[in-house]
Amino acid sequence: MSVDLNNKYGHITISNEVISTIAGGAAVECYGIVGMASKNQIRDGLSEMLRKENFSKGVVVRQDEDRLHIDMYIIVSYGTKISEVAHNVQSQVKYTLNKTIGLSIDSVNIFIQGVRVTSE
Amino acid sequence: MTLQKLDGKTLAEMILQGAHHLKQNSQMIDALNVFPVPDGDTGTNMNLSMTSGAEEVRMVDQNHAGIVSKSLSKGLLMGARGNSGVILSQIFRGFSKVVEEKETLTTKDFSDALQGGVTTAYKAVMKPVEGTILTVAKDAAEASVDLAEQESDFIPFVEGVVAAAKESLKRTPDLLPVLKEVGVVDSGGQGLVTIYEGFLANLKGEELPDIDDTVSMDDMVSAEHHKLAQDFMNTEDIEFGYCTEFMVKFEEDKLAETPYDEDEFRNQLSEIGDSLLVVSDEDLIKVHVHAEYPGEAMTLGQKYGSLINMKIENMREQHTSIVGKKKKDKPKSNQKAEYGIVTVSMGEGIKKLFESLGATVVIQGGQTMNPSTQDLSEAIKEAHAKRVLVLPNNKNIVMAAEQAAEIAEDEVVVIPTKTIPQGMSALLGFNPEADLMTNKDEMISLMSVVKTGQITYAVRDTQIDGLNIEKDHFMGIADGKISSTDQNALTTAKTLLKQMIDENEDEILTILTGEDVEDEDVTELEEYLEETYEDLEVEIHVGGQPIYSYIFSIE
Repeated sequence: MSVDLNNKYGHITISNEVISTIAGGAAVECYGIVGMASKNQIRDGLSEMLRKENFSKGVVVRQDEDRLHIDMYIIVSYGTKISEVAHNVQSQVKYTLNKTIGLSIDSVNIFIQGVRVTSE
Repeated sequence: MTLQKLDGKTLAEMILQGAHHLKQNSQMIDALNVFPVPDGDTGTNMNLSMTSGAEEVRMVDQNHAGIVSKSLSKGLLMGARGNSGVILSQIFRGFSKVVEEKETLTTKDFSDALQGGVTTAYKAVMKPVEGTILTVAKDAAEASVDLAEQESDFIPFVEGVVAAAKESLKRTPDLLPVLKEVGVVDSGGQGLVTIYEGFLANLKGEELPDIDDTVSMDDMVSAEHHKLAQDFMNTEDIEFGYCTEFMVKFEEDKLAETPYDEDEFRNQLSEIGDSLLVVSDEDLIKVHVHAEYPGEAMTLGQKYGSLINMKIENMREQHTSIVGKKKKDKPKSNQKAEYGIVTVSMGEGIKKLFESLGATVVIQGGQTMNPSTQDLSEAIKEAHAKRVLVLPNNKNIVMAAEQAAEIAEDEVVVIPTKTIPQGMSALLGFNPEADLMTNKDEMISLMSVVKTGQITYAVRDTQIDGLNIEKDHFMGIADGKISSTDQNALTTAKTLLKQMIDENEDEILTILTGEDVEDEDVTELEEYLEETYEDLEVEIHVGGQPIYSYIFSIE
């Protein structure tokens, strides 16, 4: 599945992989999120934090007619206000995708898959 | 007064004043917000977070520093809003972890706590972005280590921390390119500095101005001084028209002839003016006087020595322009207009032309001085309209304008005009009755009809588009492409026009003359055009723009 954009010179196809990598990259720049997690924790290993090239495992791009929805699976830092971190991720992802590929996202759903507790 | 031990009560008061100071400045911080998402809410978010923290602190009735900081941390966590709010909550969470057992704090404890805050704050992020509030917190904490070793008194200690935070804030544009591009410091960092400033002010028992401006003392004095004049006077009432300042450097031989007597000198001056100030030491006299004939005051001074650092300002002029400005500002309080137009120009003449074409706000800017997103945002606000059209008139400003449009509260549309002529013809398509999108379409279509020619000079030798261009020679630019060059501006202009004008299609040529253009050149060009292009209608305006000797608009 992919996203198609048309202009007067022809058309541009952007694969979901690209969208999920950009979305993942934007998300990890947000404060309070310590990593992306796999959407399929049982199969991919519970505690595994995804590396950049694997962001697509933690980001699902769904297309519903011409509306785009993104599901993101993230790990947040212990002691942060989780709802606020999630909200920041939503706005950051929406903004970045709009800036870089001009895509307007209808919804960004956040699934908190883990909380990282660091020794303090 | 020295303060070696910080107790819970003092800490609580510091926090409350920090929160208050942040609140006072939150709008300014909003305006700085371009990162990570330029939505202009950092100040608001930080303020809401900090207010929640302060509320918790207010409820503490124990004089225990650890408990106070813990309640701040709790309040911040509950009230955290936005990225910067979450970071702030982490900074003080780490802070309180370090001092939770302590009833009073030494500067060393405080420094440890600041560092603990930084550690915690950095832990909670996968990829810390430098040039943000994190960096400011880190630099301030690092500076505090040395300071704590040297200072056991809190006032100089916190002073040092604030100074380090401010220094760090200043460097944020070097670390984060997006800040540099827009020309602002990091908004979250500014928020943190504001809180620290509140801490300091509380320790010193000072009132803080609402907005931190770095105006020097001298400027403040003279601003106060002139403010009185503006508010209570009519321009005609100014008796002594010139604000005169000068210094006299004593000279031996002159003093031998006329010994200096301060009282006498002051008396003499008081007869020719008011607002008098005479200060002297062994070498110098400093004089400030408002006089109708500044020369008289100087002649008096010259009896004792030579004059240095002279400055004379016409206060009637200043007053008129300030009063004029005030009058202009007035409509702000009224209802918003339906439409506002913001445009960018260089040169007074072009500004006037734009205003006559209906622009609400014209900001100065152009090739070498691009207005920042903030300048544009302010202009959009100043336009005070429900819907605002922005015409940047330069391709380097289009981006900033779009960013300003995005963060504006009003409906704002950018017409991507790249040249002054494009901006002018786009303006002609404006219809106050039509809706925003219709106007946008119409203006964009009109903007592409006009051809833009520009004459400017080369700043260095170069070879481009098959032309050899020598430094200081003139270049003719047709719609962004350099197409002719010559050492004479007029010749270049003629060549360029020849290349650009299509006699069958083009009807009107508008010429905007630059600030460096002589009248006779304009006359010569006009005569040449009349002879060469019989059917062409030529309009000449004094544009007064720098850099470009001529701007041509052909349609």
